[in-house]
Amino acid sequence: MNATVHRLARSALLILALLAAPPFLGSAAHAQDISGALAKLTADSYADTGEAIAALATSGHPRAAVIVESIRDGQLEFDEPSKTVAIRTAAGVLDAATGAALATPPAGLSPVRVNNRVRSALAAAMGALTLMSPDPAKRREAAEAVFKSRDQGALATLEAAIPKEADAGVRSAFSAARAAIVLYKTDATEDARVAAGEVLRARGDQDAVATLRGLPADTPKRVKDAAEIAAKSIETSLALWASVQNAVYGVSLGSVLLLAAIGLAITFGVMGIINMAHGEMVMLGAYTTFVVQEVIRAHAPGLFDWSLAIAIPLAFLVSGAVGVVLERGIIRFLYGRPLETLLATWGVSLILQQSVRSIFGANNREVGAPSWMSGSFEVGALTMTWGRLWIVVFALAVFVGLILILKKTPAGLQMRAVTQNRSMASAMGIRTPFVDALTFGLGCGIAGIAGVALSQIDNVSPNLGQSYIIDSFMVVVFGGVGNLWGTLVGALTLGVVNKFLEPFAGAVLGKILVLVLIILFIQKRPRGLFALKGRAVES
Amino acid sequence: MIRHFLENGLDARVRIALAVILAVAILVPAANLLVPEGSPFHVPTYLVTLFGKYATYAVLALALDLVWGYCGILSLGHGAFFALGGYAMGMYLMRQIGTRGVYGHPILPDFMVFLNWKELPWYWYGFDHFAFAMLMVVLVPGLVAFVFGWFAFRSRVTGVYLSIITQALTYALLLAFFRNDMGFGGNNGLTDFKDIVGFNVQARGTRAALFFLSCLLVAGGLLLSAAIVNSKLGKVLVAIRDAESRTRFIGYRVATYKAFVFTVSAMLAGLAGALYVPQVGIINPSEFSPANSIEAVIWVAVGGRGTLVGAVVGAVTVNWGKTWFTGVLPSFWLFALGGLFVLVTLFLPKGIVGTWSEWRAKRKTATPADASPAPAE
Amino acid sequence: MTEALAANSLLYLDDVKVSFDGFKALKGLSLTIEPGEMRAIIGPNGAGKTTMMDCITGKTRPDEGEVSFEGGTIDLTKLDEATIAELGIGRKFQKPTVFESHTVEDNLYLALKSDRGPLATLFHRLSGAEAARIDELLATIKLTGRRGDLAKNLSHGQKQWLEIGMLLAQEPKLLLVDEPVAGMTDAETMETAALLREINASGKSVVVVEHDMAFVRELGVKVTVLHEGGVLSEGSIDHVANDPRVIEVYLGR
Repeated sequence: MNATVHRLARSALLILALLAAPPFLGSAAHAQDISGALAKLTADSYADTGEAIAALATSGHPRAAVIVESIRDGQLEFDEPSKTVAIRTAAGVLDAATGAALATPPAGLSPVRVNNRVRSALAAAMGALTLMSPDPAKRREAAEAVFKSRDQGALATLEAAIPKEADAGVRSAFSAARAAIVLYKTDATEDARVAAGEVLRARGDQDAVATLRGLPADTPKRVKDAAEIAAKSIETSLALWASVQNAVYGVSLGSVLLLAAIGLAITFGVMGIINMAHGEMVMLGAYTTFVVQEVIRAHAPGLFDWSLAIAIPLAFLVSGAVGVVLERGIIRFLYGRPLETLLATWGVSLILQQSVRSIFGANNREVGAPSWMSGSFEVGALTMTWGRLWIVVFALAVFVGLILILKKTPAGLQMRAVTQNRSMASAMGIRTPFVDALTFGLGCGIAGIAGVALSQIDNVSPNLGQSYIIDSFMVVVFGGVGNLWGTLVGALTLGVVNKFLEPFAGAVLGKILVLVLIILFIQKRPRGLFALKGRAVES
Repeated sequence: MIRHFLENGLDARVRIALAVILAVAILVPAANLLVPEGSPFHVPTYLVTLFGKYATYAVLALALDLVWGYCGILSLGHGAFFALGGYAMGMYLMRQIGTRGVYGHPILPDFMVFLNWKELPWYWYGFDHFAFAMLMVVLVPGLVAFVFGWFAFRSRVTGVYLSIITQALTYALLLAFFRNDMGFGGNNGLTDFKDIVGFNVQARGTRAALFFLSCLLVAGGLLLSAAIVNSKLGKVLVAIRDAESRTRFIGYRVATYKAFVFTVSAMLAGLAGALYVPQVGIINPSEFSPANSIEAVIWVAVGGRGTLVGAVVGAVTVNWGKTWFTGVLPSFWLFALGGLFVLVTLFLPKGIVGTWSEWRAKRKTATPADASPAPAE
Repeated sequence: MTEALAANSLLYLDDVKVSFDGFKALKGLSLTIEPGEMRAIIGPNGAGKTTMMDCITGKTRPDEGEVSFEGGTIDLTKLDEATIAELGIGRKFQKPTVFESHTVEDNLYLALKSDRGPLATLFHRLSGAEAARIDELLATIKLTGRRGDLAKNLSHGQKQWLEIGMLLAQEPKLLLVDEPVAGMTDAETMETAALLREINASGKSVVVVEHDMAFVRELGVKVTVLHEGGVLSEGSIDHVANDPRVIEVYLGR
């Protein structure tokens, strides 16, 4: 078992080494000269080979890692008379220094021999090669590999590298790797080993717990006890972080639900129109983003980081316009007949899906992320992608914007007037049909904006909308119809509940449980979380 | 009592429909089995199976019309009851495969062997008996509908809200049946059936018999539904549809009535699903997809809700159209279906049969009262 | 004292309070209806008339207070609408509500006192006695000639009458009638008053909520004036019409 881990870690190191193709640290021209080292390899002595490997490890030469690896794999061959050092691969015999194929390999080529001493030199060299990579990410990965393998051979390299390391994250990875080695080092002092345990506690993840718990039975009691205490403390804080993570991921999911549902909160919640084509409005927004990006890629690649900003107003207009046409063309004839509206808009959703499928094809379309949305960052033990964070921000911004439109603008006042008392509003001179179309268009336009954001985290396909429609209705119904704040609370609650259920029930069962809970909830409070109690005698 | 109850259902329209259905039930198998293949009157086996499928859809539409057309409950999850009945039948058919499966296990269906299951889950017990399976075909959808309906109707969830939660119900079942550890074959569902009560499901004779039974089910379902809607209970249902509070204030327990008709309807849908599965040869979770259930609603709307016969007419017409489109212009089917939803709700709210009887009633202006209740919200 | 009041009453409301999201619809309403009594209830919009009916018929649960039936023996606050209807309380809505797609005859048929269970109705056959009772009711509400018509084709006044007929078909002990003459012609109004008096004379208690003062005067019964969820004044029509508080809040003179 342990051997397997070691082997895996070694291969990881090797692969990393191979990846580290660019010149190494301190790559001055003279340092790159490996001819001396190569010459030593032709001496056919274990001592010379060891020295050559050490020289290669510090040479900073781009081929160094390849050469060291080929020695380990028994592929490096030499010919003393012609001073040739070559790598025998399946593709042919390559010159070790340049990697170019040798047209006429010397006949006397024989493998560089390896004994245990050479092997440990090899391992140390491999570790060193990547631990000294100029790329911090690679140094860090190498440190992680050492952390797992606890390869004693890397200790010296690590101890040398730690004080020189400039990147704080890499330095703590180095320290953790060193601590892991020291913790298991039977000839280290107990004090040093206990101190190493403390360093691991600071690392504070599941791997650290495994390392702390994995000490062999013959470890001195003091070291083992200290390790156990450290492991326990890590577990406590991990449990805490897991809750934080569930909450944060839940809020992230909740913001996606909020985006999908917020337009529906207008059309269904405020106007009472049941629009089954709501998901397709989201889908149209996502395709608008795709088209915008295609145009930018073709004509103005420099604007790519602005693609989403450009897509937002366009998506609003596209979905909003479709919404207005839908309202004027179909829905207004069906006011007061909610079930018929449901069926007709379902029909519209089929038509929209098929139209998009006919134009763009049935396959997923690639929507790229601008640079400011890609990548991730860490807070404590928590990893969050920038994309997710921006979606949370964006969802809240849309929500606040919508509240402001409804509460602070004349158009919003008219909308509220019409939905509260149509005939009175009409008598006051408000053009109710115009306001209806406007309100419905607003709800659909917001769905389009949601589509821009969702194109970043979901597959952009004609079926995009279908996957959101049930969830959206659930959010609005759960939150309470006619209440935007209810939608906000409903979306976030469902998101968080979903994420807290997932670890216990699994993603699918968690979703089913949430659906069942909502169904039960609607039985208890048919008008949702924040519904007003009405007195209306007859409905 | 029962005889009087059923006679109630035999109004003129139902009589004609029953005659047509029974004629089809006999003529189609005869044209398949007795007429030689070269003859222009020969009906190929694939058509028999196709028509059989339409017949089971017609029963699903009937079940939906019973709750929607007469009691105002627009269920967007009736496909779930159809699929549950189908799964019950599928489980029976799986158990009939015996050692003929790919892995040749005498008891476990192939997918369980594949998933390394050691023994049959308890809920598969008994499905090797046809009678038990048939009982489950009716009981399982009935029970699900009753429990769901009891909760929903008692807390007075109505209208669009009810529609949305029925949709959530079938969606939840869809997700659940996709899971391998549910023990219903996961994604792939149940398939590769061999025998049904000892007859090869692929054989021409069996297919003709299944078609005949499907038509019989349409006829029986129609008669039962007509008897229900023409009884005093049926009048109460329409009363609930038109004025729920009024019905409650004259002393009827609306929730009980709704749960009753919802359960009966679910059982009918379950039977339809059970006949559907051996004819199409597979049942998988996609039958639970909310889109399927909504498609069934349009069958009823096209035929004319609240007319029963219309549900049968609508199911056959729309599905015939679907077969034709998917053969000739596959990419246009969704346009056609979507357009159908829009056009029917806007221009043909009473459907084919409803509009037809309205037109007939207008011609006979002497008696403006029509026996069929006009659909309303 | 209150025990004695309850014991002699058919319907007894004591200190009933109901609020919706902070709005107090009823603030301690008390009301006693004797067996065989007819009572008119008036009050401006928002006085709590409809909420009161909702509390009696089980549609709304009071936050506080007592609502009981038949001498205080039956607590109505614990029962649902259907049970209360079967106990013998019939209610006519403000907006006439009949089963529009049923015939006039079927409307009455559905309302006839009989077993309300689904199995009973599934196998029910119209008996001779029931048919006779329907004929009788049709005559009472003057709709015999339209028995086969769909209820949706009736005039507004006829629908009001049909709804009263449906109430009678239930054979209730108490009828709650909400604005029975709204939208009626004067002649129809007078006829309705006569019909209600006739119903009352047959031994049923009647509570009529109405705005139409001429109609209330025509009924000639004790009047209760509601205002802001409580009783403002009670007595004969002349008594309440001269009560200065009533004049101030309701008659507005």
